[in-house]
Amino acid sequence: MKKIIQRILEFSLVGKIALIVIGFFIVLAIFSSQLSHYPYDLPSGAALQPPSREHWMGTDDLGIDIWAQLCYGARVSIMVGFTTAFLSVAGGGLVGVCAGYYGGKIDGWMMRLTDLMMIIPQLPMMIVLGAFFGPSLKNIIFVLTLFSWTAPARIVRSKVLSIKEEKYILVAKSYGAGFFYMIQKHFLPQTFSLMMVSFIQLISRAIVAEAGLSFLGLGDPTSKSWGLMLNHGMAFRGIYFTDFWKWWILFPLVCILTMVLAVSFVGKEIERKEVSSYGKTTTKG
Amino acid sequence: MILKNKVFKKGSIVLLILLMLTSMVVGCSKTATNEDATVADTLELKETTDAEEPVIIRLTGGDYGYPTPFQHYPRGPGGYKMQLVFDSLLERDENGLIPWMAKEWEISEDGLEYTFTIHEDIQWQDGKPLTMEDIQFSFEYFEKHPPVWNPVTMDGKAFVEKIEIIDKDKIRFTISEKNVTILEKIGDVRMIPKHIWEAIEDPDAFQGEEAVIGCGPYLLTNYNKEHGTYEFTAFENYWGSKPVVEKIQFVPASDEVLAFENNEVDLASIGSDLLARYQGDSRFKIIQNPGFWGYRLLFNMEKKSIFKEKEVRQAIAYGIDQEELVEKVERGAAIVASAGYLPKDHIWYNDGVKKYPFDVEAAKERIGDRKITFQLLTGNSNTEVRIAELIKISLKEVGIDVDIKSVDTKTRDHAINTKDYEVALTGHGGWGSDADILRERYATTVQAGSSPSSNIIPGYENEEIKALAQQQLGETNVEKRKKIIFQLQEIIAEEVSFLPLYNTTGYTVYQPSKYDDWMYMYDHHTVSHSKLSYLQRK
Repeated sequence: MKKIIQRILEFSLVGKIALIVIGFFIVLAIFSSQLSHYPYDLPSGAALQPPSREHWMGTDDLGIDIWAQLCYGARVSIMVGFTTAFLSVAGGGLVGVCAGYYGGKIDGWMMRLTDLMMIIPQLPMMIVLGAFFGPSLKNIIFVLTLFSWTAPARIVRSKVLSIKEEKYILVAKSYGAGFFYMIQKHFLPQTFSLMMVSFIQLISRAIVAEAGLSFLGLGDPTSKSWGLMLNHGMAFRGIYFTDFWKWWILFPLVCILTMVLAVSFVGKEIERKEVSSYGKTTTKG
Repeated sequence: MILKNKVFKKGSIVLLILLMLTSMVVGCSKTATNEDATVADTLELKETTDAEEPVIIRLTGGDYGYPTPFQHYPRGPGGYKMQLVFDSLLERDENGLIPWMAKEWEISEDGLEYTFTIHEDIQWQDGKPLTMEDIQFSFEYFEKHPPVWNPVTMDGKAFVEKIEIIDKDKIRFTISEKNVTILEKIGDVRMIPKHIWEAIEDPDAFQGEEAVIGCGPYLLTNYNKEHGTYEFTAFENYWGSKPVVEKIQFVPASDEVLAFENNEVDLASIGSDLLARYQGDSRFKIIQNPGFWGYRLLFNMEKKSIFKEKEVRQAIAYGIDQEELVEKVERGAAIVASAGYLPKDHIWYNDGVKKYPFDVEAAKERIGDRKITFQLLTGNSNTEVRIAELIKISLKEVGIDVDIKSVDTKTRDHAINTKDYEVALTGHGGWGSDADILRERYATTVQAGSSPSSNIIPGYENEEIKALAQQQLGETNVEKRKKIIFQLQEIIAEEVSFLPLYNTTGYTVYQPSKYDDWMYMYDHHTVSHSKLSYLQRK
């Protein structure tokens, strides 16, 4: 814990602000029902009301409070972002460790599979799969994970390849250390920071992808994600010639932008730290 | 310290850019929404069209299939594009059926023989003359190979018993039973050239230039499936009214209103929120569409037998707030549909049918202790998803759980045609047609064509409705037939074997200085679908 706080204190100002922004959205997500007077899925006022004392951010075409939807939308975005990133890093990390550790044919097959996944144009494929599996949050997470595990797999593999030639690993092996022991004691601690960088990068990517897929109408039509709010708003006929966009489109758009930027800045901070500490970690163990 | 400063500087720049972006968005929109700024500020209005200059009309595109009678997409924008190329014996104007390829017709006293006199000098678009054999061939070919929009069959059977060529400009159709809708049906059949189609075994796969040769006023001169663009050019040797519009182009437009404002399209559908923008400005004309397009909720009684119970269907009707749908989803530009199907704008609308205002208690009373849940299949258009959401919310109040499944429109239409749904939300036109649509919707067991309006009700049969529907078909006395239709609407409203939700009455805006001859067909909701909108009229 102390180490984490120390690490955060080393962040630049932008990094710290970014972290506060993420924290803010996490609080929104956790306490969404307490933070809003109105339900996120039921009409609570007249349709398309501008921001007022009652409805801080106005209402949408069904009369549902926008603030309530944004709070709940934060939950959806964060859940999709974190779950996708976690599954991708865990899955990709495992593939990377296996490929790096065993080498030979296993490495060859796994890496060819990774190459194959990497050359498939992702967005069109995600749209096709999204349409095929049907619109739901689970499917979106599944489709996003399917295309996100390759980057962590390659990074982890190359790291494992370099570690496995270290003398202490050879010694451990000669004493009969098994695969899981090696993962636990050596590979995981040393690849953890790399995985963290991938994790953070994937979060923002997943949030944008979820918003994009929802915006294209491939998300769960009744969920209240930020992307879906944008989808509904922008599909309103001639919205830019009315005043409605000022609250119905602008607020979810700003949320997506700030969240993604904040996550990217934090990712950048962690990456910067990693780069500056290259060459130091490999001697540990 | 230097590093920290650099990072801080970078961060400040990023924040600055963010702020600029936001203010740009706000700034841009101010120009668009500023009410003081007149529309003329944002439009480059075209001066009065020079009479010599050929008129080119651009409309919102989208792929609706290759415009042959066999390959167009079954929805209106597909079918009416096909009809620009392919003519029929009769046509529709504001008031009813009018002579077209047939300049006159006679009906025998027993109502079984229809003799049409055809215009002379009708030419196919490849220069060959049209003969009576072509007309006979078209009917026979469509009986063998049903087209997408299929007017040659009734209840799955061809209704024309015999076709005789009497003279070089006269043809007679004999039908087996007296039927008041036959004239409209025969008149609606598209003519295809025998010399091209007689060799075609699989019309669904027949593409190329020859497939789109008709005898209509427009030639298809460009079609791009990927971009959803079409171009129709006036056929110079057209036999009938001369085309006023030289070219009709369907161009891609992601936002129709924006495209209209930028002069990229010449016609736009607008909601009631935009009325003020164009009203009172003489450069624009706004017309309100008649309510002949509507949404309805279909119950699949084969798949979910609970819907066989009338009380359950009535409970759902009471449990959906149709007024709210009109107010919120259509922003007031619609009318609550009649449970008797024929909409308020229909000439034979019966105002005395049972109505289903939103009534939680009435719904609960009918549900009793039944536990009802169902999956609602809808298209993925914003309107449909919003309707589904409101239905889910209001039905929850009466104790019915709805699970919404949204798929793209074509998948939904296919699922309806293959009866693969529990409850489906669908929208289509054709609500203003002859009252025989009541028979087609409620009393047929064989689906005619693949039009989204032609689905049958799976698992539902009502002998009383069937008998009345059959009776009106043979009733030539208008008053008596009207009485039967009124009675039919009452039974249908009581039964609610599917639930009509609302009929849209949206607005269309255009610039009369560019083109002002738009026309509604008497039973249709869109001016751009009428062939006569583009032709010279007396």
